[in-house]
Amino acid sequence: MSEYLFEMRQIVKEFSGVRALNGIDLAVRPGECVGLCGENGAGKSTLMKVLSGVYPYGTWEGEILFDGKPLRAHSVRDSEDAGIVIIHQELMLVPQLSVAENIFLGNEIRKYGGVMDYDAMYAKAEALLTRLKLKDVNVAAPVMNYGGGYQQLFEIAKALAKNARLLILDEPSSSLTSSETDTLLSIIEDLKHEGVACVYISHKLEEVARVCDTVTVIRDGKHIVTKPMSEMTTHSIITAMVGRDIENLFPKVDHDIGEVIFEAKHVTCWDVANPNRKRVDDISFEVRRGEILGIAGLVGAGRTELVSAIFGAYPGRYEAELVLEGKPIKIRSPEQAIKAGLSLVPEDRKRQGIVPLLGVGDNITLATLSHYAHAGQIDRQAELQVVEAEIKRLRVKTASPELAIMGLSGGNQQKAVLTKMLLPGPKVLILDEPTRGVDVGSKYDIYKLMFELAGKGVAIIMVSSEMPEVLGVSDRVLVVGEGKLRGDFKNAGLTQEQVLAAAISHAAEGPAHAA
Amino acid sequence: MQSQQIQQLFVRYKILALLIAVAIIWVFFHIKTDAAFVTPGNLSNLFRQMAITGMLACGMVFVIIAGEIDLSIGSQLGLLGGVVAILTVNQGWGTWPAIGAVLVLGLLIGALNGYIVTKLRVPSFIVGLGGMLAFRGIVLYITGSSTIAPAPDNLITIGQGFVPPGVSVWIGGLIFLAMVALTARRRVRRGKLGLTQAALWIDILKMVAIGAFIFGFVRMLNDANGIPIPVMILLGLLAVFTYVSTQTVFGRHIYAVGGNMEATRLSGVNVARVKLVVFAIMGLMCAFAGIITVARTGSGSPSAGTGGELDAISACFIGGTSMRGGSGTVYGALIGALVMASLDNGMQLMDVDNSWQMIIKGVILVLAVWVDVLSGSNRNG
Repeated sequence: MSEYLFEMRQIVKEFSGVRALNGIDLAVRPGECVGLCGENGAGKSTLMKVLSGVYPYGTWEGEILFDGKPLRAHSVRDSEDAGIVIIHQELMLVPQLSVAENIFLGNEIRKYGGVMDYDAMYAKAEALLTRLKLKDVNVAAPVMNYGGGYQQLFEIAKALAKNARLLILDEPSSSLTSSETDTLLSIIEDLKHEGVACVYISHKLEEVARVCDTVTVIRDGKHIVTKPMSEMTTHSIITAMVGRDIENLFPKVDHDIGEVIFEAKHVTCWDVANPNRKRVDDISFEVRRGEILGIAGLVGAGRTELVSAIFGAYPGRYEAELVLEGKPIKIRSPEQAIKAGLSLVPEDRKRQGIVPLLGVGDNITLATLSHYAHAGQIDRQAELQVVEAEIKRLRVKTASPELAIMGLSGGNQQKAVLTKMLLPGPKVLILDEPTRGVDVGSKYDIYKLMFELAGKGVAIIMVSSEMPEVLGVSDRVLVVGEGKLRGDFKNAGLTQEQVLAAAISHAAEGPAHAA
Repeated sequence: MQSQQIQQLFVRYKILALLIAVAIIWVFFHIKTDAAFVTPGNLSNLFRQMAITGMLACGMVFVIIAGEIDLSIGSQLGLLGGVVAILTVNQGWGTWPAIGAVLVLGLLIGALNGYIVTKLRVPSFIVGLGGMLAFRGIVLYITGSSTIAPAPDNLITIGQGFVPPGVSVWIGGLIFLAMVALTARRRVRRGKLGLTQAALWIDILKMVAIGAFIFGFVRMLNDANGIPIPVMILLGLLAVFTYVSTQTVFGRHIYAVGGNMEATRLSGVNVARVKLVVFAIMGLMCAFAGIITVARTGSGSPSAGTGGELDAISACFIGGTSMRGGSGTVYGALIGALVMASLDNGMQLMDVDNSWQMIIKGVILVLAVWVDVLSGSNRNG
């Protein structure tokens, strides 16, 4: 019998030839909290999907032991039956159902037949919430009456109702205020004393330092280090997370940087669902002609909201003052933004970038269709000439411009979306995660294009979660954390550690500046 | 893999499968009615019956491609038909001014629906459901729930008249020549741009088939006085709608909006305006259908068009329009309308009880869409 409640040994997971996980080890003792740290894309979510049964046994290699016995989960249900419960970053509660109904969802206490035993459920829900030190909750009221902090705790109650012995928390504090986070952390402490084990995944290293006994760092799908927290510091964790030199993936070309062409002042966005919460809090910045401005930060820091507000595409309430070439401009829709000289390549290609059923060519000309039309009638010959030229220029691999774009690889789709937004001839080009899900070859092409455009005087604003990309491409780097501007660095001798430290740093420290 | 090739062929030329379905239906009814179905007189009747559903389907196919739905079109048809009857019969308007006014009114009603959907952001399903009741209520109110008759003769001619046989032959010939010219131009152009061409024999075969079809169509209808005027109007609408959907910026935007509204919006397309215009066109088509209905029956009935929305929507889905929006064709929808009209006409000839007619039409609709799903052509996203 080993000392561990739970052990993962040498986990390997491949996606069509690409190793997302390459020999990961993770072990948790009863009553212990293990912090799992890694950059965006290091393989944390994949690992969690393996361990929670989302990827069933047999689709990955390696071994999982629970209670010393091999665990072969074929579905989430199997792993939950064993006592492993995962709490996702986005809460999985049904807002209209009551607190008790949510806690027992899929796990309802029944009387005869299918009739729910509400009395028993309410009593047990109240007992669970008392255990979590929540006293003022009406378990019969709908979940949506309660704020994010409460909802996070309801999720934990739901896990406990399933007799969870291992709780996995994925970025649990990402939508919580700091006092709510405090409550959450002290409850995790209590659960540890009761013998519940935890895996705590977070970018917020102060939280990890406070609540975790052991830290495991992974990077690029590989296990880097596992040490007791007492032997680690925030700095040593960051070093382990970053840990590599930037390979020469970036065909950096010198380009002249001119005068300020675009300014965004006091950009503020309110959350769509929770109008009191600011997703972006009074951010101002400027960008120069021919400059590549990287915007770094953690996932959910408010970067996408910031750029979509500038482009007039933010779905909720927002405010922004914009100045282009010295003149104030008013943008309330993407249509106006494109007319003014702005282009945005959105983050989520499938949802916001491509029209899957339309041809590659039709997608490429979507933003500029009226350029090839007389009195509303499309001049197909003119359209196709532009399409063919663009396909050649960006090396989009497609059998025919008429092929539906959904048949192309991610990299080629991205190139098509990119060229679509370049055809209007923007003065300011905003790229949101321009290389997400893109193969190395296409990445190289996209970077080359960016330098080419910068050389022609286009100002480029690039949001990216890939630190090497931010450092390899940008002339200047803005760091956004929790909706605020946390740093503005010239990219000369800038290190990943500096950027990550600014992104993770607590708000109290104020924005970092380096000249 | 012989069967797989055949499946591929049908996925690619869905229209072929539909035409075969129509042929099977026709043969079936022809046998069952002791050769009373495929006769000039009956087919002339059938196409005339189909014209109204076809007009509605033309508008509806745009609405569905744009990712919306409009359930109020049957009531819109009733209302607009009622107005044209009142204007001509009770108010003494001339036929042409009345038609003009009703077309404008239809456009406005459609635009109102579009405004509520896009600007006030009420789901189109609800707007349609509300409009279904409200518009029907207005017809009942303005007509006093009674039929308004008799419509003036020149209005009736539009519904019951024929294009003279001589002119019909010329029109048929012109359509054929236009098809040949368009295909030839397309081939030349695609050749110049180095795009993949359909094999020459396929195009020639297509032309021969179309030629034979047009010849048979005109010949058959000429044996029964010529092409009915509503059918001629429908053919005109087919040409206009096909042109708009394949050749214009607006048409491309309809497909884009229905295929991925968010991506289209972020490409700078005013998606609200596209949808609003689509609804306005739907209203215009209701006006066409309403006028023809009054002209055919010679009276404005307060119950005209009841259930018309279901026929039009069924026609679109049978014709291969995607439920989720983003794909579909006008001619497909019209063949769908032909299927529905053939079933109606055939079962009436066979004297099938009304209850059975409804059951069979319902089953055929579900069956047709199921076959479509099976063929995998709707599997995406």
